[in-house]
Amino acid sequence: MEFDWSEGDETFRRELRAFLDAELPPDWAELSADGPGSDAQSTFSRAFCAKLAQRGWLTQNWPAAYGGGDATPWRHAILSEEMWRVGEPRGSQYMNVNWIGPTIMKYGTEEQKALHLPRISAGDVLWCQGFSEPEAGSDLVSLRTAAVREGDDYVVNGSKIWTSYVSGAEYCFLLVRTDPTSKRHRGITVLLAPMNAPGISVREVPAVIGERYFHELFFDEARIPAGCRLGPEGEGWGVVSYALAFERVGAMRYARAALTLDALAGAARERGMLGDPVVQEKLGAARCAVEVGRLLSYRVIDLRAKGSEPTPDTNLARVAGTMCENAVSDLALEIFGSESLAYGHFGESYWRLAMPAGVAVGTTEINLNLIASRWLGLPRE
Amino acid sequence: MDYAWSDDQSAILEAVDALCERYAGASRAIALDAKGEWDVSLDAALSEAGFAEIALGGDTGSLEAAMVTECVARCAGTLPAGAQLLVAPRLTGRALPGPVALVSLAHPGPVRFGDRARTALVDAGGEARLVSLVPGDTTPVRSNFMLPVGRIAVHGGSGESLGPGSGDALRRWWRVALAAELVGTMQAALDVTVAYVKGRRQFGRAIGSFQALQHRLALCVVQIEGARWLTLEAAAKEAPEEAAATAAAQAADAANHVFRETHQMTGAMGFTREHDLHVFSMRLQALRLELGGASAHLRAIASSRWNAPSRV
Repeated sequence: MEFDWSEGDETFRRELRAFLDAELPPDWAELSADGPGSDAQSTFSRAFCAKLAQRGWLTQNWPAAYGGGDATPWRHAILSEEMWRVGEPRGSQYMNVNWIGPTIMKYGTEEQKALHLPRISAGDVLWCQGFSEPEAGSDLVSLRTAAVREGDDYVVNGSKIWTSYVSGAEYCFLLVRTDPTSKRHRGITVLLAPMNAPGISVREVPAVIGERYFHELFFDEARIPAGCRLGPEGEGWGVVSYALAFERVGAMRYARAALTLDALAGAARERGMLGDPVVQEKLGAARCAVEVGRLLSYRVIDLRAKGSEPTPDTNLARVAGTMCENAVSDLALEIFGSESLAYGHFGESYWRLAMPAGVAVGTTEINLNLIASRWLGLPRE
Repeated sequence: MDYAWSDDQSAILEAVDALCERYAGASRAIALDAKGEWDVSLDAALSEAGFAEIALGGDTGSLEAAMVTECVARCAGTLPAGAQLLVAPRLTGRALPGPVALVSLAHPGPVRFGDRARTALVDAGGEARLVSLVPGDTTPVRSNFMLPVGRIAVHGGSGESLGPGSGDALRRWWRVALAAELVGTMQAALDVTVAYVKGRRQFGRAIGSFQALQHRLALCVVQIEGARWLTLEAAAKEAPEEAAATAAAQAADAANHVFRETHQMTGAMGFTREHDLHVFSMRLQALRLELGGASAHLRAIASSRWNAPSRV
């Protein structure tokens, strides 16, 4: 057991912070106020990720055979922490490097690898993911968007919802059902769908959590070339499970929460509230939640570094990450009182972007279900 | 970074488990409680096996001492494991004659093992004091919290000072030790409750199959695991003030949560002396009150991390 970072890791973190200090513009807080799906942040991410790529950091987690740096999961966790901490300047591209690229490496054809991996590594391509449907949310395997093979194409009909990062997305990591008679996990297929394919249309679903956060994707006789299929037809659930296993810890929510909490303590001091024992206790409780989020995530990274199969530790980390976001964002509004009513105010921005933590990428309830069955061994019925 | 137990650490825990198999366990704790005794045999066995000085070993230290403390608590050992295995060695550089009681002059009242402690480590504010006790110094207090309890007659001038700044050191190590004991005790309370809900059938099914219970138990796991890793990290880093307070605050807060949930789910059975839960749950209450409880630990986080002014 060892709780200290290696010297190399510490050095990397310092270099990364210096890089961020130099690369984030003075108006970054304003630019990122609308959230990572906004047009402003999408545009910024292209230039930013290209610079990360030049430093060899964008795909440092990838194997050297694919131009990556063979970085350890710990080293990559530092990158994720530092990025999330400042509001994820990679925008949606964290998905590309964390799981879309690695899944293409595992299941892709040579053509798919040659098409997608260099562009992801260069940091100039945006992806979105088409998973949820109006009738398939937490119960994702009930998805119904249909893809029927016709000649060299799949003809896709149906719709996806809650899709983020659609601004400027060139590709969608799309889950479809290729066998209409199939049930549940069987008969699902992954398509690496070009967003400019005829028959795909997009509607923004306006939401209080951020500009261009949610979209609905409509597929109306959309023709997706069969060459876009990732992995065997009907075996898509295995592909997506592999993809999501890469995304085990997900967003390093505690990293931004920790930074925000320190700022909130500073604001409390300026406002003459830091001597109030009630405020102290709330700050202390939020700090506990942040630290629990960090340590339970580190436990998952350690398992990953040791090549372990995914375990329910992931679900613990995700629940803890949400609890820390909630604890800090509650305070973010309270410390500033009615100042928080102003859109884009420090407390409001944090609180708004933290709001979906318990829903995004698997709800808290699904994570608790998995802890109950896989950690505690509680019976289903 | 490495979040797994080394082979040596696993071997230590297996050895402690084996000792506890003989000298601890809930039924033994119940028997000792009925007689108002502490576990002299477990104390002797731990010493004989070298665990009394595990914090001071060449290859072992505070982290291993915290692991053993947690393990003894999980096994319902009736002795002040944290005070003896972690706090005393860290403060004085040696194992002290047990039972060792921890006393805070700022938080007066009966203390664990204060009925018969032979040594007291006293938080006198700026400094800690080491006091050798004689029988007249301790007064047993009848208590329902499944641990021997008593009052110890000490004051700011009792015994010898452990030097300037030793008061802080005592509080830091006390918090880590307390957190380790809370984690072990919470784990045991959860374990017996999970076993209960798997076996208890109502409405034709195990009550542990109801989602209304499953989610709450899963949240207990998150809280306990969080406290566990905070404690291990704080111990490994030699009890920095903020980390120690964070571990203690998380553990003390989780303890009451786990108490409420485990008792709710075990129903009337959980309140009886015929089910093991009470050994752990009642101890959780005693532990979570120590050193000012979660409120004090939380304020200690604020003062340590953000230099928040403390009320005098």
